[in-house]
Amino acid sequence: MEVLREKVEEEEEAEREEAAERAEWVRMEKMMRPVEVRKEETTLKQETLRDLEKKLSEIQITVSAELPAFTKDTIDISKLPVSYKTNTPKEEHLLQVADNFSRQYSHLCPDRVPLFLHPLNECEVPKFVSTTLRPTLMPYPELYNWDSCAQFVSDFLTMVPLPDPLKPPSHMYSSTTVLKYQKGNCFDFSTLLCSMLIGSGYDAYCVNGYGSLDLCHMDLTREVCPLTVKPKETIKEEEKVLPKKYTIKPPRDLCSRFEQEQEVKKQQEIRAQEQKRLREEEERLMEAEKAKPDALHGLRVHSWVLVLSGKREVPENFFIDPFTGHSYSTQDEHFLGIESLWNHKNYWINMQDCWNCCKDLIFDLGDPVRWEYMLLGTDKSQLSLTEEDDSGINDEDDVENLGKEDEDKSFDMPHSWVEQIEISPEAFETRCPNGKKVIQYKRAKLEKWAPYLNSNGLVSRLTTYKDLECTNILEIKEWYQNREDMLELKHMNKTTDLKTDYFKPGHPQALRVHSYKSMQPEMDRVIEFYETARVDGLIKREETPRTMTEYYQGRPDFLSYRHANFGPRVKKLTLSSAESNPRPIVKITEQFFRNPAKPAEEDVAERVFLVAEERIQLRYHCREDHITASKREFLRRTEVDNKGNKIIMTPDMCISFEVEPMEHTKKLLYQYEAMMHLKREEKLSRHQVWESELEVLEILKLREEEEAAHTLTISIYDTKRNEKSKEYREAMERVMHEEHLRQVETQLDYLAPFLAQLPPGEKLTRWQAVRLKDECLSDFKQRLINKANLIQARFEKETQELQKKQQWYQENQVTLTPEDEDLYLSYCSQAMFRIRILEQRLNRHKELAPLKYLALEEKLYKDPRLGELQKIFA
Amino acid sequence: MNRLYNSMEPRVMDDDMLKLAVGDQGPQEEAGQLAKQEGILFKDVLSLQLDFRNILRIDNLWQFENLRKLQLNNNIIEKIEGLENLTHLVWLDLSFNNIETIEGLDTLVNLEDLSLFNNRISKIDSLDTLVKLQVLSLGNNRIDNMMNIIYLRRFKCLRTLSLSGNPISEAEDYKMFICAYLADLVYLDFRRIDDHTKELAEAKHQYSIDELKHRENLMQARLEEEQAQREELEKHKTAFVEHLNGSFLFDSMYAEDSEGNKLSYLPGVSELLETYKDKFVIICVNIFEYGLKQQEKRKTELDTFSECVHEAIQENQEQGKRKIARFEEKHLSSLSAIREESELPNIEKMILECSADISELFDALMMLEMQLVEQLEETINMFERNIVDMVGLFIENVQSLIAQCRDLENHHHKKLLEISISTLEKIVKGDLDEDLPDDLRALFVDKDTIVNAVGASHDIHLLKIDNREDELVTRINSWCTRLVDKIHKDEIMRNRRRVKEINQYIDHMQSELDNLECGDILD
Repeated sequence: MEVLREKVEEEEEAEREEAAERAEWVRMEKMMRPVEVRKEETTLKQETLRDLEKKLSEIQITVSAELPAFTKDTIDISKLPVSYKTNTPKEEHLLQVADNFSRQYSHLCPDRVPLFLHPLNECEVPKFVSTTLRPTLMPYPELYNWDSCAQFVSDFLTMVPLPDPLKPPSHMYSSTTVLKYQKGNCFDFSTLLCSMLIGSGYDAYCVNGYGSLDLCHMDLTREVCPLTVKPKETIKEEEKVLPKKYTIKPPRDLCSRFEQEQEVKKQQEIRAQEQKRLREEEERLMEAEKAKPDALHGLRVHSWVLVLSGKREVPENFFIDPFTGHSYSTQDEHFLGIESLWNHKNYWINMQDCWNCCKDLIFDLGDPVRWEYMLLGTDKSQLSLTEEDDSGINDEDDVENLGKEDEDKSFDMPHSWVEQIEISPEAFETRCPNGKKVIQYKRAKLEKWAPYLNSNGLVSRLTTYKDLECTNILEIKEWYQNREDMLELKHMNKTTDLKTDYFKPGHPQALRVHSYKSMQPEMDRVIEFYETARVDGLIKREETPRTMTEYYQGRPDFLSYRHANFGPRVKKLTLSSAESNPRPIVKITEQFFRNPAKPAEEDVAERVFLVAEERIQLRYHCREDHITASKREFLRRTEVDNKGNKIIMTPDMCISFEVEPMEHTKKLLYQYEAMMHLKREEKLSRHQVWESELEVLEILKLREEEEAAHTLTISIYDTKRNEKSKEYREAMERVMHEEHLRQVETQLDYLAPFLAQLPPGEKLTRWQAVRLKDECLSDFKQRLINKANLIQARFEKETQELQKKQQWYQENQVTLTPEDEDLYLSYCSQAMFRIRILEQRLNRHKELAPLKYLALEEKLYKDPRLGELQKIFA
Repeated sequence: MNRLYNSMEPRVMDDDMLKLAVGDQGPQEEAGQLAKQEGILFKDVLSLQLDFRNILRIDNLWQFENLRKLQLNNNIIEKIEGLENLTHLVWLDLSFNNIETIEGLDTLVNLEDLSLFNNRISKIDSLDTLVKLQVLSLGNNRIDNMMNIIYLRRFKCLRTLSLSGNPISEAEDYKMFICAYLADLVYLDFRRIDDHTKELAEAKHQYSIDELKHRENLMQARLEEEQAQREELEKHKTAFVEHLNGSFLFDSMYAEDSEGNKLSYLPGVSELLETYKDKFVIICVNIFEYGLKQQEKRKTELDTFSECVHEAIQENQEQGKRKIARFEEKHLSSLSAIREESELPNIEKMILECSADISELFDALMMLEMQLVEQLEETINMFERNIVDMVGLFIENVQSLIAQCRDLENHHHKKLLEISISTLEKIVKGDLDEDLPDDLRALFVDKDTIVNAVGASHDIHLLKIDNREDELVTRINSWCTRLVDKIHKDEIMRNRRRVKEINQYIDHMQSELDNLECGDILD
């Protein structure tokens, strides 16, 4: 409190000194805090201090009777626990302390708004804000980090604006209620988020302060959607290689340095102009996008969460806006001021000036000059002990204050009155209310759905627009989950009409990316694959109407690239359309990686089959210490010489350049064999190209089928959705139940009704035992007979009815319609069936009855309660 | 083959026979025609079959350098010979001959499959160098000692063995013995060895095998140790300070010094000798350590140098490659343009342009090469200077250390002389308490004798020290000159090769262009 007082004094002094500048000062202050407005009216003078005190003490933290965020009638308070409806003595005490604190505060800082200390809860009971925080660690690993936690809160709750945008709310509900109705204002949001963050170990605080219009209304239309922002390319720091001792000197540069300088200057000028133009353009755009000035700027109450550095490896302090779940630096200009902040242990008032938003605030809660605490003795107030001694000695209510502080010291925050915060797995998965949420960003719209809500697995869609009004669609991105075809993301570019599908690993064709403009074959398309999942190591296949290019990796034959050019399709009129008519191949280019097992001059780097010209070109790899590579060209003409003999091979059919001429390659035999080999290879390559074409067709067909079916996979661990496992589980349960019933039946006690007739607890005499046994047996016999009679009676009844019916049929046989006849016949068969069953049951009963009787007799003999019986025979 | 098989007249392996065989077994059909047209060189033949030819003596095969497979089965060969040059041989079939001993296979280190089936061999021997051997067929021979099997243990790759039809295969333990001693064997006598048999065999012969293994392991360990020692010594030798990490030099000083040894029996000399040795050894160890350190330094110096040179050459090559690639692109397009052009003057103009391009490329490449040569020369000179300095410093320091040794020796000599003279005086006076060995006492006749003896010992010691020093200095100097020479020579060779390569390429390009020209004119 001393600190507070000191502060006030300082302010007063400053006022006296700067009376002349007051007008301007006030004008400035007006911008930041509503309190300062009132300051003009209340002239603070030493003489009138007492007067003022009286006046101010009347000022209560009046609870405005305005409508809370969601009307109270909707909340069923009857089922809430006692802690919600009453205050414990400790809480009462705390409230008193808080009131006292508030009174002193308003006395010492009359120009500031009353404190937000104990709003009413849903049962109209005042509760201190710190006790409303219920630190909880959620059982979901996804909610362990602050970013996912904040995202969850922002998704899970629907935002309701404050009833009065200039005042903190009168009511603040428990997090359990908020979670139940999935609605809340900024205070509810930040309370819930803060509870979860403290629960998972963060040093988090709820903040009561002032925010910008956008922040308070959760208006993201001026924000750039985080999904559209491309991650900044991390510029790789080029390691400056130290010049080694023997690094060669670069050749002497013979260019004129003056000319170079001139050139550089000229270019710089051009660049500067360009930049200037760009900047102007940008400024113009910014101007257009800027929001209209807000009349209530700086007065809008908002609540958010502050996370201090230190715990959970948080490197520096930051704010989280609970509405959006985004984090902001403490310097962000959306946050215009802080009144107070609290966690589950204490409550602090900001004593720093917020003329420059929150940019100059220092979040050292242990510093009592900057932060006035309410309760002493928490971990953040170590600093106060030293400062306490030398300040505020000559104050009037010193004694009173000291007493209070002693009292405070011994007091710590009572336990939270809020029930444990629980989120059911269903609710957690559904996330947004009704599983759907739409966020409007600047030039973008983001829609989110819960998994399995859409039958095609769509979970979110981002639409990007060209203009601010969101009418002209630029591109659409759709994210999918749990698709059987492993589709993950669909990207549609509306300007180029290019569609790109991204797949997760596991597609039957090992697809990774498929970008296309139309699903028709032989059009522009690029298909990328997970090459490790494919036998042929294909990475990418690009197609244009006339070419096909394939990229490979990790093949045993070291093929890296194959490019095929097609000629125009030859019209075949006679053939039916069912037969495929592949396009003729004009040229195939294949490139190979270096095969380390072969010497470079025998390792082919590139071979070109010019199918139409009947030529084959080979280019070999370049040897390590060479700069030229061997080449060879084969002409595949087969000619007949003047004698009519077929020319097999002539030297001019193979033109070769060898870096290091070798002997054996000059031989015609070698060349002939090489050419034969290449001919075979050409055939194979052509075949490969055709196969690739077929595969593309197959992929397209498969994709179409998958798009039409869009089945979703269900994890075997998903007990709720997995129908198969559910059925199985239920069947198991049923079996268990039946088993249980059977057991109960076998344990049926025959003797119980007879024993009940006798006085309990007494040992049976022999006579009694015999009588009991006989009674039991005769009763059982009677029951067996009754049962037999019952079956017999039913059997007879059924037979009689059948006979009657037959009689009726024989009488009316002539007049019957076919339908009646059918009816009769079906009845007959059913009746016969019933009769047969009854007959069987009767027979079975007759067979089993004596056995059952004997079994019972045996059982009775062995029954320990009838031990007397055995004694006779023993 | 329409000769009678049972006409047992031996035939000679002459050129005609080989040519015929090569021709028969060479390429067929179209390729065969070509082959006939051109003729086949023996050194291009990879596989040769010479069976059922009544060959008595292997001969004339030296030309088949690259032969991989040779079949000489079903002849009457009595001695393995004339196969020394066929070092690439992988498969050799000598079955159904009359061979009595295994010999002449030492150079065929690549041999994997060797068949000596149905011969008269009685001992498995002389196969030590065939480490790659996988299949060995020795059936129907006269092997009668089981110990031959143990010889086969050294072939780690051996998987298939046939020994049936030998006297040893009669033994009841034959199969078990082989399975136990050749554990890696998979097929024996054309049958797969099942796991059960293997286990049984192992259990049966466990003790003897364990013993054998133990012995083999010991041998192996000893070999490895020797190897390690050799390597260590080699390392020291490259640092030119071998045998200086102990008392080796000191011991060698006294090894040939009979007087010195005799004198050490003098009273007080043994202590003197002890301290002298300690000090001497310390200096030697100093030299040794310094030498190793210097060697390390020289090595890093050389490494940096070669790395830098390599980088420079690579960089230069990359530039060259880029230039060639750019040129080829342009050249190809202009060539096809020339082909399509029909106007003769235009063609000539374009051809001129093309050849201008080619010469431009030549200039550019040569320029690059010249530049590299200059750069490298500078670097090499710098390196040379540095390494020579380094060696000089090393020699200087070692010499100063060795001078310390010499000082020690002189000091020792002085002390020894004093003691000797005092002892002599005592002997002359006759008041020597201790008795000396007779041969030592013989030295103490007069002053000259004893001084001479001590001096001789001293001279020997100094000589040893000088020799060691000289050896070190000459060796390091020769190493240095050789290194520098090699670097220069390598660089010259590289330059020659590159210039040749460039010229060749340019010539090829030019001739291609000329051919085009001729063709066009002919058309």
